[in-house]
Amino acid sequence: MAVNLKRSSGGGTQVAVSRRRMLAWITGTGLVGSGVLSAVSNFVFIKPRATYGQPQRFSIGKPEDFPPGTRIALETRRICVVREGNRLAALSTTCTHLGCIVGLADTGFACPCHGSRFDADGTVTGGPAPRPLPWFKVTLAPNGEIEVDKDTEITPGSYLTL
Amino acid sequence: MRFALAVGTFLILVIHGVILYHQFSHKWEAHQIAYFNQAKAMAKGDAERAALEARSPRIEQTVVADFGETRVDRCTTCHIASDDPRFSTYQQPLKTHPYSLAMGDVQKNGRWERRHKFSEFGCTVCHDGQGRGLSPKDAHGEDEYWPDPLLGAAVQENWRKEFVPMLKGKEFLEANCAQCHTSPGFAGTPTVRRGMDLYYASNCYGCHRIEGLSDGTIGPDLTEVGRKFKVDYIYARIKDPKSVLATSIMPKFNMLTDQDIRALVIFLKSRKGKNFSETEMDRYRLRATGGAELVQAHIKPVQINPAQMARQGEQLVLDRACTACHKLGAKDGAVAPDLTFEGLLKDPAWLDAHFRNPRSTMPDSIMPAFRFTEPEFKAMTAYLSGLKTVPALPSPEAAYKALCLRCHGDKGNGQGPIAEHLDPSPRDFTKAAFMNSKPMDRLVASVRKGVEGTSMPAWERILDDRQAKALLDYIQTAFVKEPRQEPKPRNLPAANPVASSPESIARGEATFVNRCAGCHGRKGDGKGPNSLDILPKPRNLRNAFFLSSVSDARLFDSILYGVQGTAMPSWIDYGLSNNDVGDLVNFLRNLNPKPKGGQNAGTI
Repeated sequence: MAVNLKRSSGGGTQVAVSRRRMLAWITGTGLVGSGVLSAVSNFVFIKPRATYGQPQRFSIGKPEDFPPGTRIALETRRICVVREGNRLAALSTTCTHLGCIVGLADTGFACPCHGSRFDADGTVTGGPAPRPLPWFKVTLAPNGEIEVDKDTEITPGSYLTL
Repeated sequence: MRFALAVGTFLILVIHGVILYHQFSHKWEAHQIAYFNQAKAMAKGDAERAALEARSPRIEQTVVADFGETRVDRCTTCHIASDDPRFSTYQQPLKTHPYSLAMGDVQKNGRWERRHKFSEFGCTVCHDGQGRGLSPKDAHGEDEYWPDPLLGAAVQENWRKEFVPMLKGKEFLEANCAQCHTSPGFAGTPTVRRGMDLYYASNCYGCHRIEGLSDGTIGPDLTEVGRKFKVDYIYARIKDPKSVLATSIMPKFNMLTDQDIRALVIFLKSRKGKNFSETEMDRYRLRATGGAELVQAHIKPVQINPAQMARQGEQLVLDRACTACHKLGAKDGAVAPDLTFEGLLKDPAWLDAHFRNPRSTMPDSIMPAFRFTEPEFKAMTAYLSGLKTVPALPSPEAAYKALCLRCHGDKGNGQGPIAEHLDPSPRDFTKAAFMNSKPMDRLVASVRKGVEGTSMPAWERILDDRQAKALLDYIQTAFVKEPRQEPKPRNLPAANPVASSPESIARGEATFVNRCAGCHGRKGDGKGPNSLDILPKPRNLRNAFFLSSVSDARLFDSILYGVQGTAMPSWIDYGLSNNDVGDLVNFLRNLNPKPKGGQNAGTI
């Protein structure tokens, strides 16, 4: 609106025009900036910073609790902890098809709902599952316990060396 | 105009920016970044450093569902180093939670291992506070509307300043330890244990109920007191009950020190209804046994030496908080009658029975039944029945002030300082109609022989006949304020004209339900629907002591001619005949079996 006013009043002095132009710039910046900030804040609000339910980063106990050769499913956490020698990893046990809890099988994992089958590394070997089971980031916390971070997926086959 | 528009929009942009900054920049992010940087500096290898590099600030939370309602504890969002042993020397919030042997933590291979893992227990189970809060004020429960501020640490703004030092300290955490560790010998909760001892030793159990611990009915139920109230409120209620609630009838327990009250507060804070490890048997134990052994386990009963009974009894009366309610010499609890010359008023048998069960001798007494041991009751009885010093009463006025004022009041209107705790309430002397409708003999008898089943004792061993009459004269001039008129003798049957029989009692009951139950109640307990706005309250006709102390003639008098100065009408005006009243009297006599004892059992 300010710009239109400036154009219609054509015959003003140079000083008046530049002042007008500057004011128009400030107004425009203010409006656009406010709009952008509102949009940004709205987008931030769409993704909550905290969700209810169990935390995604949690401790599963000391390395001694998982002796070499262990392959154990933690039902409540929905992960499977695998230890081979001094290497340790955590796989998801949530089926990538429709979210059932997959069970441990001799050949790897088997989903009871629609028969998806995975091998021991989580790769799909049969059934409707579209993707392999994700591997989660495993770290050794400073207090000596193993921490699993379900928010961070890592490439299958990368172990934590103890 | 354009200038204003430009400035205005620019200002809006700035406000937007400031709000955005406040909404999306959090202190906890700064704490987490500081932690990551510190940890990176301490990291032993590249892998650890890389892992820390990959982490960005976020809300950390522990969800615990094993302790009552599901708790969401986000404390570790700021206190992110609480389980990182390398940060033990840092300042809060980046400080390691201390390890302690007393908490059950153990050291293995130079590494501490926690007994109460944060991932299993969370934080608020022990510490209280608002687990979901993300600003220190919210999370620590410093907002005055949050019911559980950080125990022993957080202080809310509206707390009374002089109490605050007593409400801080690690001992308060014991209240939450005791949620699970309920066994009495548990070493980790000495303050809760001490508070529980005091709960019994200070006779709190007499008035208050805590499920499984005590069954008093006079004060509020404290079973869930720790859940309902904050520590400052509990402290103030014990320290000075009337400062919180002006109408509270709880006495002020002066013998409790501030440390004692603190221990009691910590004990009460631990009572949150059903504790996590309590069994149903624990809660029924009291109902099964009456609780005497429970009380005696805490009050440390005194060994009574027969040679020193009275002296030990005196010590007991002082130690066991009797003067929190009763008056004894200079000590006055302003709730219950004066014990200063108890030996002159009651005989030992009455005192002993009254100790064991106050209502067995005084049907409407509010005194709780205390669970002392048999020898202790004997010693206290020996002490009280030895209080036989006759007070010096130079004038009737002095006698009134010394003996009567506490119940009948300085205006003689029956509203003395302890009157509200007495049932039946003391006689209102300003009702001239009552005073002038009773013959002098009857009034003198009431003073000298007392009134059975009420708090009016027999003063005959303190006041002789002449003194009693002088006292009544004083009352007449000072309170009744009308000249004394001796009532004319009324036309009363010499004896009950109706012999007691089941038919007569049934007729009496029918009349009672029709005519009397409105005030005296269907049960005859004086609590009929009309009784609420009547003063003096209708007589409790189940008070066997009172009923058997009055003659048939007096019952006929009161029913036929009414009781002047009270709500009792003259039933002769409403058509009751001598025979109807005879049936009523038979019904009332049948209602009350002949009581044993009583304050002058020998004279009845």
